[in-house]
This record gives sequence, C-alpha cells and structure tokens, in this order.
Amino acid sequence: MGLAGGSVAGRGPAAGGRVSGGGTRADARLGGLLLVPALVAFGALFCYPALLTVVLSFRPEGAESGWTLASYAAFLGDPDARRVILLTFGLALAATLASVLLSVPLALVLRRRLPGHRFFRTVVLVPLVVPGLIGALGLLIFWGPRGWFNLALTQAVPILTRPLNVDYTIPGLVLFYVWLYFPYTCVTTLAAVESLDPAIEEAAQVAGAGPWRCLRHVLLPLASPGILAGSVLTFMAAFGAFSVPLVAGGDHRPLAVEIYKQIVVPIPPHWSAASAIAVVMATVQVAFLAVYLRLGRRRGGSR
Amino acid sequence: MREAARAYGQAFREARTLLAYTLLVSLTLFILAPFAMIALRSVGRGWFGKRWLPPELTLEWYRWAVEVGNIPEVLKNTVIIGGLAVLISTAIGLTAGWAFGRCRLPGKELLMALLLLPLMIPPITYALGVARLFYALHLVDTHVGVALAHVAVCAPYAIMVLSASIEGLDERVLEAASVCGAGPGRRFLHVVLPLLLPGIVASAIFTFTHSYNEFTLTLLTYGPHTVTLPVRTYLAVGDGYWEITSAMAVLMVIPSLLILAVVQRRARPERLVGGFKGA
Amino acid sequence: MIELRGVTTRYGSVVANDRLDLVVRRGELLTLLGPSGCGKTTALRTMTGHVRPTEGRVIIDGCDVTAVPTHRRELGMVFQNFALFPHMTVADNVGFPLMIRGLARAERSQRVAETLRLVRLEAHGAKYPRQLSGGQQQRVGLARALIYRPKVLLLDEPLSNLDARLREEMRFEIREVITRLGITAVYVTHDQEEALALSDRIAIMHRGRLAQLGSPEEVYGRPASRFVAEFVGLSTFLEGRIERVEGGQMVVAVAGGRLAVPARPGAAAGQPALLLVRPNEIELLPADAPPGDGVLDAVVEAGTYLGDRMDYRLGLPGGLRLRLQAGVATRLRPGAAVRLRIPHGRALVLNPSDDAA
Repeated sequence: MGLAGGSVAGRGPAAGGRVSGGGTRADARLGGLLLVPALVAFGALFCYPALLTVVLSFRPEGAESGWTLASYAAFLGDPDARRVILLTFGLALAATLASVLLSVPLALVLRRRLPGHRFFRTVVLVPLVVPGLIGALGLLIFWGPRGWFNLALTQAVPILTRPLNVDYTIPGLVLFYVWLYFPYTCVTTLAAVESLDPAIEEAAQVAGAGPWRCLRHVLLPLASPGILAGSVLTFMAAFGAFSVPLVAGGDHRPLAVEIYKQIVVPIPPHWSAASAIAVVMATVQVAFLAVYLRLGRRRGGSR
Repeated sequence: MREAARAYGQAFREARTLLAYTLLVSLTLFILAPFAMIALRSVGRGWFGKRWLPPELTLEWYRWAVEVGNIPEVLKNTVIIGGLAVLISTAIGLTAGWAFGRCRLPGKELLMALLLLPLMIPPITYALGVARLFYALHLVDTHVGVALAHVAVCAPYAIMVLSASIEGLDERVLEAASVCGAGPGRRFLHVVLPLLLPGIVASAIFTFTHSYNEFTLTLLTYGPHTVTLPVRTYLAVGDGYWEITSAMAVLMVIPSLLILAVVQRRARPERLVGGFKGA
Repeated sequence: MIELRGVTTRYGSVVANDRLDLVVRRGELLTLLGPSGCGKTTALRTMTGHVRPTEGRVIIDGCDVTAVPTHRRELGMVFQNFALFPHMTVADNVGFPLMIRGLARAERSQRVAETLRLVRLEAHGAKYPRQLSGGQQQRVGLARALIYRPKVLLLDEPLSNLDARLREEMRFEIREVITRLGITAVYVTHDQEEALALSDRIAIMHRGRLAQLGSPEEVYGRPASRFVAEFVGLSTFLEGRIERVEGGQMVVAVAGGRLAVPARPGAAAGQPALLLVRPNEIELLPADAPPGDGVLDAVVEAGTYLGDRMDYRLGLPGGLRLRLQAGVATRLRPGAAVRLRIPHGRALVLNPSDDAA
C-alpha cells in the first residue's frame, strides 16, 4: 500500500544524508521529512481511529449522522453501568494495593543479592513478557477445582470436602491481576531501593536505628516515589485489562470487556454505546498517565 | 555467654535468610506453577479427579490441534502477519529513529511521548475505531489489514529501540567514511547499516514477538482467513477443551520465553518497564 | 576504649585484615593510615559492625561487642560522602539519633540547637542537605554523630570529598571539636599530612597488617620499616655494607662514601644494611669539601631553575639517584662533581629484610 511504499522510499537517500554540520534548519527539515512515515502511521492507525471512536460516541445508536449525548447518559445513568465502573476501579485498586504489599518485601529481599537472586529477578519479569491470555489460562487451570492449589488445599486441610472457588470470582480476579501486574510495581520499587546510597542506611544504623526503624524512617520514605510510580503503572494496567477478564472474568465484566460485549453480543452491534464507554475509559487512562509523568518529572528533579 | 550471644546472632541471621528464601520460592511457585500446569495439561490424558500429575502422557492433543484445530494454517497467518508488521514497523522505526537520534528537532521529548501513546492506552479503546475504519476500507480479514492494526502497537517499540541504536552511532566513524570518499548512499550501505544491524535485529525480534502475542486489535480486525494463534487459543477456550487450549498455549508462549531468556542475560531487563502496558 | 583483638577478615582468598591487634586509648585521636587496599576501612567497619570478622574480637569500653549489631554499639560515624538523609532537614538529620532513642521533642530541639552551635551551623537548621555546601554538609554529619555522646567517634576519610583549601580548614575544626569534647576518635585517611597534623597516635597499615603504631614523631622520625618510611614523608634509601663495628656505632659503606650510625643489635662486619635519609636533611657541598664521615661523592645530572630555588638530580656511584633542592646561588651544571653531607645522626638504619613492594 501507499504507506509501505512511502516509507521504503524514504529510507534510502534521506537516511544516508547529512549527519554532521549543516544548519539547524536543514537538520530540522530532514528530521521532519523522516518523521513522515511514523506520523502517517500514527495518524492513520491511532489518531483517526481514536477520533472515529469519539465521533461514534456522539452518534445516535445505529445512525450515520446526528449528535446526541444519549449513549453517555445511558451509560453513566444505568445502575449496571455504574457497577461496571465500580468493578473496574475496585479490581484495579485492590490489585494495586496487593501488589505494593507484595513488592516491597520482595524488593527488600532481592536487594540482598542472595545466591540465585538473578533467577528470581527473571521470574518476576515473566508475567510481563507472556501474553495475558496465556497467563489467564494457566491461572484458571492452576486455581481451578482440579488444579494444584485446590489439590494441595484439600489434602492439607481435611475438613474441606469441596474445592475452594477461585476462578471467575472477584477475589480470584484480583489474584489474577496481581499475578499479571505486580511486576511493574516490583521492578520500580527494586530500582528505587537499589539506587539509595548504602552509606545513608549505614549512617542510620550507626546512629542507633535497628532494621525496622531504618526501614520506616529512611528506606521507605526515600523509596516512596519509586513505589508510587510503579503502583500507578500497575493501576493503569489493571484498569485497562482486557484479555484476562474476558477469559477469566466469568460474569464479572470490567470496562474493557463491556466495550467488547457491546460490539459482539447485540445484533446490530451497539457501536455508539461501546464508543461512549471507550471514551470514558480512555479519559481515565490519560488522566492517570498524566499523574505518572508528573511523578516521574518530580522524581528526576528533586535529587 | 559470649558464645551463646554469637550463636544466637547467627541463628537469627539464618532464620531471616530462611524467611527470605521462603518468600522467593513461594513467589516462584506462584508465578511458574500455572505454566507447569498448562504444559502438563497439554500432554496429559485422563487427567481429571484428584491427581498431581497426569496418569498418561500423550501427544494427541498437539496432533488434534494440528489436524482439526488448523494450527499450521494459524501459524502461517501469524507468521505472515508478524512478518508484515515487522517490515512496516522497522521502516517506520528507522526513519523516525533517525529523526530522533540524529536530527535536531524541537520538542523531541513531546513528540516521542506522543508516538508512544498507543502503548499507554488500552488498545480496546481505539480498536473500535480501527475496526470501523477497516470495515470501510475492506481491510478486515486481510493479512495486510491485521498487520497494519499491529503496527499501531509495534511501531512504537521499533522507534524506541532503533532511535537508541541510531543515537549510539559514533559520529566520527561516519565522518571517517566521508573523508575516505564514500557518498551518502554508499556510506549508508557499507557503514551505517552494518553498524545498525544488531539494533535492527533486536527491534525485529521485539516487534515480531509483540505481533505474535497481539490479541485485542486482532480480535477486532480478524476474519476466517486471518486467524492468528492468540485468537485461535481464545476460541479454543470458548470450546471448553482445556487440553487443546493448553497445547495451543504452549505453542504461543515459546517466543516470549525465548526473549526473556535472551534479554535477561544481556541488558538490565528492568529497563523494559516504563513504556509498557499489558494486553 | 575500643580494641580490635586478633581480628582477621577474609573475603574469599583476599585477606583484608590479618591478625590485627589495636587498642585505642580513651580520649585519644588515633589515625589508621595507609594506601588503598591496606585494610584500614575494613578495620573501621569492623568496629562499627558493618563487617563481621572471620576471627577475632571487637571490644568497646571493656565489653565484647563482636556479636552486637551496629545499631546498639553506641558509636558515632562521619562518612566520606556525608550520608545525610536527603529527605530530612538539617535539624531532623542531627536530631535523628535522639528521635530513635525516644527523647521528647522539646529536649530534642534544645540538644539539636546546642550541637548545631558547636559546629557553627545554628542558622541552617531548617535547610535541606542539598542546599548546603560540601563543608557544611560534613559539619552536619559531624553534629549528627556527636549529638548522642557516643563512646567513640569514627571518621572514614571525612575530608576526601572536599576541595584542598576546605580540607585544611575542616581539619582544624574537626580536631578542635574532638578536643573540646574530649571524645575518643578513630580517623581513617590515606593522606599522611592529615594524619601527622591531627593524630595523637598513628597506626600505619599495610596489606591488612599493622606496620607501625606510634606518635607522629615516632612514625616520621623512627620508621620501623622501609614501607613506613616511604609512606610517611619523603625518603631516600642508601644500601650499603657494614665495614666495622666499634663502640655503639657501626660504619656503613655506601656508594660514594661512608656513614657512621648507631649499631643495631647483632651487627657484624660484612652484613648488608639499609639506611634512610630524609632528602631535605642532606646538605649540598662543593666538590672540594673535606671528605669524612657522612660525606658522599655525587655528580649533578640535571638542574632546573625554579625561580627561588634550584632542583637538582644527582647521581651517586652505583646507580643511585637523588633529588635535592638548593639555593639559587649554587647554579651547578650537569656533570659537575659535588659532595653531599648527611649530618651525623640523621641517617636511620632499617631492616633490609622489610619488604616495601
């Protein structure tokens, strides 16, 4: 297509062109030229579709023109819809809190660099590189009625005659979210604690602070920007989760799944309703993104 | 007395180490056990009821996946789409990367953040628009169409990796080539490209893996001719045959684990986080 | 007051401290001096408890604290890179040890104000460390280390991160504060000038072992080995052979002349001897000066005009080279023959078996 042709043509002469010297204007012009393929792709594959979604959200359902807020009103006014929003927020919040509770001790342990720590650091990264679908599948099997968890539980606690229901429940979903998204928090927390000058902790120790007080007064306050940034990432990921709740959510449908269901279940598809939900969701995500970037900038400047 | 104090201190330290390892091992089980179960489920026969391991091992699920589940066709689709996505993304990555890495542009950071936006917003939100657009352009259920949808999330990675590579090119090597008499074209071919090759390969691997794993956008732009592995696996979940699904899942997870193994040995993998959102 | 007894610390095949025996007396400032890698920092960190010795004991004020964790040893420490808490104000930094010990806020602020006055930072209590200069930050570190009246104050190269001019000023300030409080202090440095200026006693360390322990005068004037002599002050070594021993003196023949030095026990004619002379003690004489005890022949190899002095490179028979500075009036040319005089008693005998490598 035109896109592919344009970018290939742009590669040869332009990329081999002036590297050093030349005025700023020439450089900027070359830079602008070279950005065209990226901008075209960005525009056509992201901006325009996003715009389309926004426009669709203001169309009456099934119509080709016209403007209305009916989809938004329907969505925000519907008690079911409010439950969906609450569910999405709740899951994300619970998962984030649990991730922080898991990540902080984990980071402190990994920091000690016990033998084998490289292996464990890699393990922490596994949920990040594996597609969410696969993670969801494995979690469903493992925590399901015939999975190892319930097997171990029923064998260890003989009074339990029936397996514990984890799959398709809300606590189960939170657990799955934590499995998938805690690495964001853990990695940034670990980076934060490892970037601390060890002499500072030593100074606290010599001054009389035992390990617990060192943690409370020195380590955690200094690492908190990193912990916070990581938890915002986890929250964003959990809020936007799609493939996992799609497969493992059962009757519980957070926002992303709700959008999909509006397209797939009703015939004809409810494009407007789905778009309205999408716009709401994207707005929340962008807001959190802004928070994350603000945190990042403040972290960089304060040292 | 002194010896007792010493011994107590030693025991305390050892207890803390034991606790640390307990946490680490529990974490490893928590994370890796689901994969173990998938793998075993994919080769187990008659594994229902209360058993730790499947009573019999078999490859029939894989055979079923190949014969009835159409896996070769699915893999073919996945690879074709992935290849196209890589090609387009690399082209975009090289041009944009050159602009970011070597040209003086105003507002570079802002521009870069903008181009990375598709990674930060859940794909489902703009996938709707992509789906509508592709319906109108008759791109649904075409390899090119799905590949283009993938480019939205793959190109940013290519841009990130390649602009870093290009920025790392030593200006003086390029000058030396000019002084030796090489014009822009030959300099690109004989000096720039070979120097960039590791970066291009890395970018290609990343991009391919992301396309291979891509689910959300594919779900909204695929058709019967362009079923990819993630979509096929998802459909298998709907069918309810855990064993088949597990076999497909095993096939699906291989590139990701390979990448992990490679990456963790070379760079500090922690740098991957920060511009990264799960599917 | 604080003592290392038989402390040996091994990291794999590296021995950082080797059977170290060190006693720091109450009220003194003892410096651990040595090149990098000699084990002085390890020894200090063994005292604080950050390093656990493979063998040996740490004793503070009569109690064996080897098994006691760092935060209960009641020591104070000043760090090379200051190690201030960046998220706390100066006042909170200094008051931190008192907060840990549970002192009430009112008493805490009073003590903090007192201690800040001690280091002349009373106006900066509300500032954050990043707003202070290097010297000021180090004074905060000092205040934080002293506020709870620790048994011993430990200083780990506290002046290395400051620029040269500031270093000299701070040197005197630190010494003054320590003397005023009468506190026992252990100071670690690789700067021998610092050590000589500050210390009551100096412990020179080399390869994990104690090379010499003594007052600055002892260490400079009577170095126990070639290593100590080379490390503290400038040195010229003359290798020679004992010609004869009579009375309490032995006459050693070196390239270019002979010297009479106090005899060492067991000296006999024919033995090798190693003599140390501080270059600034050597006198430059014209070539026709009378020969005699302590007079050596030499030849000028090069002379550099430095404005207020001449810097000469001299060669002695046997290949030894010497650097000497003399007045501008001497104006000697390369090739000129001269005589050097080592005043009686300014040459020291060292053990030739001491390794200095």
